[in-house]
Amino acid sequence: MADLIIENLTMRFAGVVALDDVSFSVANGEIFSLIGPNGSGKTTLFNCINGFNKPQGGKIYFNGNNLLERRPHNIIDSGISRTFQNVQNIPFMTVLDNILLGSHSRIDTKATLQRWLSQDQREIEEAMVLDIMDFLGIANYEQKYMVGQPFGIQKLAEIARALVSKPKLILLDEPAAGMNDQETREIANIIREIKEDLGITVLLVEHDMNLVMSISDRICVLDSGEIIALGEPEEIKNHPKVIEIYLGETADA
Amino acid sequence: MKGRYEDENLYWIPVLIIFVFLLPFILKGLSFSYKYYLFVLNMAGIYIILNVGLDLLSGFTGLVSLGHAGFLAVGAYTSAILVDQFGVPFALSLIISPLIAGLFGFVIGFPALRITGMYLGLTTMGFGFIVKRMIIAFREWTHGSGGLDVSSPMLFGYTIKSDWNNYFLIYTFVIIAVIVGRRIAKSKIGRAFMAIRDSEQAAEAAGINLSKYKMLAFFISGIFAGFAGVLFAHTSSFISTDHFDILLSIYFIIMVLVGGASSIYGAVLGTLFIVLLDNLFVPLLKDQIHFWFNTQAGDIQSLIFGLIMFLFIIFQPMGLYGMWLKMRIYWKLFPFNPRQRFT
Repeated sequence: MADLIIENLTMRFAGVVALDDVSFSVANGEIFSLIGPNGSGKTTLFNCINGFNKPQGGKIYFNGNNLLERRPHNIIDSGISRTFQNVQNIPFMTVLDNILLGSHSRIDTKATLQRWLSQDQREIEEAMVLDIMDFLGIANYEQKYMVGQPFGIQKLAEIARALVSKPKLILLDEPAAGMNDQETREIANIIREIKEDLGITVLLVEHDMNLVMSISDRICVLDSGEIIALGEPEEIKNHPKVIEIYLGETADA
Repeated sequence: MKGRYEDENLYWIPVLIIFVFLLPFILKGLSFSYKYYLFVLNMAGIYIILNVGLDLLSGFTGLVSLGHAGFLAVGAYTSAILVDQFGVPFALSLIISPLIAGLFGFVIGFPALRITGMYLGLTTMGFGFIVKRMIIAFREWTHGSGGLDVSSPMLFGYTIKSDWNNYFLIYTFVIIAVIVGRRIAKSKIGRAFMAIRDSEQAAEAAGINLSKYKMLAFFISGIFAGFAGVLFAHTSSFISTDHFDILLSIYFIIMVLVGGASSIYGAVLGTLFIVLLDNLFVPLLKDQIHFWFNTQAGDIQSLIFGLIMFLFIIFQPMGLYGMWLKMRIYWKLFPFNPRQRFT
């Protein structure tokens, strides 16, 4: 069953066509990767799903909801959360509080006010995130300020923040950017566990081909806003157009 | 008792509250001029209430306000008019007047949805001027620029007069304001405020309605300032437009910055530091200043404030509270690794 359906999506920025008639669908419970050279429209596509960009044409449906009718802060209510290409954390807040930020839509404001004078509210909130922190192996960092933490921890904290909202679909924008080989392998394991243990559909943008080829169920290749190829990793590896884009035409010259 | 937040110790809070209420007695025992010290502390207390609100707005949410004297004026004049001209009891005015100041904050919040930074600073500064003009315009109730005599606060049938009694009234509310401010800062509202300041994209992706929370920040900040205004009007017994100058708004921002933006305790420390410096330390140096600079202490005051803010921004951007956190870590680790960086 198709979960996320994108139909004829077109997005232009003052003459530049960032997305040109893009259509595909992501099935429930798969890891779907978007690859392509810089400027091919991957992040723009994320921003359209997320409501930051309003496309000129096309439709985006998630579980029957029309996402283009929603404002950015309402997207999370339909079960979609995301991470960013450049980590967007709050530096002078603890790692725990940063992750709690993701639970914003799950915390009942009325109940918060009712428990205003007791410490219970805080404990209820923390209980929401502790298992996610254990899951990602960053439980030791909860009381530390985000500002001094290594890049890998900041990336994981951002994924944790996206997971805390209990999404059905998570958009990961280059989770392995700036990571070394070992950290990349850890990220690959985490993404696999997100799919298998938590049952969350993953839409992934990534430049690391080893990572993409090893974990993806299906891959979509974008270039200049157009879909060039869509299929399973083996198909994509041998697709002539993809080879052309990544290796250049001069490969045989 | 271990606090849940920031791994902090909560033992000292009751001790501090007891100290706050014993302080007048200590001062009375120590000095003949204790009444003047209490007057200064009362002023500091009123400013603390306002600065907790200003910190939530400018420190946490990052929406700079240079018009907070305007909110103070709204609270003060509303309460003075309600109590003395419409016969509303003081206790009721303590609830209504802050809400009206909060509504003003709500209105000023609208432009904040579109503009940030310096432009927002200028807009809020404009609000400060508008309030002053409005006070002069509504002469019937406010007596224009001539000022307004205000009755002393009446609570449960008792009239609260003298700085001694005002101290207990004001500091009860200071403690409440600090606790409420801290609860807001550590709840989902406070997290949303900080997220808006540091990354609007991350905030929206996390489901935070930017417009709603920016308006909320202005509303809450207006309520705190209005509350301070009510106490200001009734404890100082006379208010005029001169009390709510643009310079006062700038001093409020200096107090928050020196204390350490985006920490409630920082707002308290910064306010005490600046008010005590202004009223106790500068007068001590009056003769020296006159001798060396051939000028009055009052003239050099702004220069001293400017210099302090300058030094803090360069050497101690996290303010007094940040300094305290660093010191705490330093002593925790003392013989080992004393140059441990603050993380």
